[in-house]
Amino acid sequence: MEYRNGKIGVKGDPSKSMTTAEAGFMAFMGDNLPPGLEPGMDATRRFEPPNFVFPFGTHVCVVEVDAKTGQVEFVKYLAVDDCGRLLNPMIVEGQVHGGIAQGLSQAMFEEVVYDGDGQLLTGTLMDYAIPHAEQVPHYDLDHTVTATTVNPLGIKGVGEAGTIGSTPAVANAVMDALAPFGVVHIDMPLKPEKLWTAMHAKNGRAR
Amino acid sequence: MIPAAFDYVRASSVDDAIRLLGEHGDDAKLLAGGHSLIPMMKLRLAAPAMLIDITGIPQLDAIRVDGNRVTIGALTKHAALAASDALKKTAPALWDAANQLGDPQVRNRGTIGGASAHGDPSADYPAVLLALDATFTVVGKGGERKLRAGDFFREMFDTALGAGEVLTAIAFDAAPKSAYVKYHHPASHYAVVGAAAVLTLNGGSIATARVAIAGVGDSAFRAGGVESALAGVRGSDEAAVAAACAGTASGQDARSDTFASGAYRAAMADVFTARAVAQAASR
Repeated sequence: MEYRNGKIGVKGDPSKSMTTAEAGFMAFMGDNLPPGLEPGMDATRRFEPPNFVFPFGTHVCVVEVDAKTGQVEFVKYLAVDDCGRLLNPMIVEGQVHGGIAQGLSQAMFEEVVYDGDGQLLTGTLMDYAIPHAEQVPHYDLDHTVTATTVNPLGIKGVGEAGTIGSTPAVANAVMDALAPFGVVHIDMPLKPEKLWTAMHAKNGRAR
Repeated sequence: MIPAAFDYVRASSVDDAIRLLGEHGDDAKLLAGGHSLIPMMKLRLAAPAMLIDITGIPQLDAIRVDGNRVTIGALTKHAALAASDALKKTAPALWDAANQLGDPQVRNRGTIGGASAHGDPSADYPAVLLALDATFTVVGKGGERKLRAGDFFREMFDTALGAGEVLTAIAFDAAPKSAYVKYHHPASHYAVVGAAAVLTLNGGSIATARVAIAGVGDSAFRAGGVESALAGVRGSDEAAVAAACAGTASGQDARSDTFASGAYRAAMADVFTARAVAQAASR
């Protein structure tokens, strides 16, 4: 067999060929195969890169904290990531969107709470907060492209870029907003009551 | 997440619903939008043996403005209230609540009568209807009763609606100077605190105020002390309004949950009441 002009053909016989789609259809339908041959057509190859890839990026978050309530409003979110060559920019953008949402959710919302008897109190999504679309900011995204040399495509991972960048960006933005109140640390998630209590405990300036 | 077994029947009229309630007694529950009842059944917090579906009963879903009086059918959906220009003009506080309630799916199924009869202390309408001093029309075997909001809402998940009765309408006087502001729970989007204010103004000063709070107590409640303190205050005077709204939840045992302590809730009740009053005064 040989591959020629986008088709699989019999070597030496230009009249005998079919497209890969036709070959795949025959293989998977399996109703016209030689005796003893199982239907299907699969192949697995593995690639061992000579080294890790190192995606990188910078995330910047701007928030406003309401001193009267401790509620946080997102003003701006910027992220520039470098995952090497973007094979499908739309999918890359989706990965970053989802990752930022997950990371800011960790910083702001998600918390597993048990009572003193070990009973889970946040057992449904009515209690355990995961942000809706309206609770996350608009994301301004950009990319630099620094192709890696350790694989032929020049690609690097992007799945975790959003989660890694957004949790500290959001938490640090909130803590920066609280700096004038002398607040230096609050454990995540940064729930409004914690922020309100911290602002009011220090010196009453929030009142 | 699978409810206990139950039977289902559709009522064709209010009288038919009352007859079915009489027939099935305590085992029966009325089903309107179902967006509170069905989740409770799925969690097995409720297990009625019979659901009497009243959504097919005609003519219970109208918003009528008759002079100064606004009457809303009990089966009026949140989405219809949220989209009503007549309601926005005559009772913007109720329009605010309908627009901030749940999500589009809930607003397109849930009804004002169902949400009110459910008596959830974190629901939005009870505070607004208390502040509007609304009148509830309930119909039972013995005929019709009219209940004021203050008598209708009793305790957590408990209203004055009798076991054999159907809530058919809610009416109130137009209150163009009114507002409802809400602190959304980040997960459930129920009210951590909801504050409703209904004002009359004399020049820029508040002549009379009715203020009610959801989310904080075992039921929505009127904040009588704040209502008195607001008299004579200029609605645009932020500091004076805030001072008058201090202690909104005094006398209440403010509820605590995984999101907010009682003390924080009580403090937020003051903040959101002041915001509701300022917004109502500016309308």
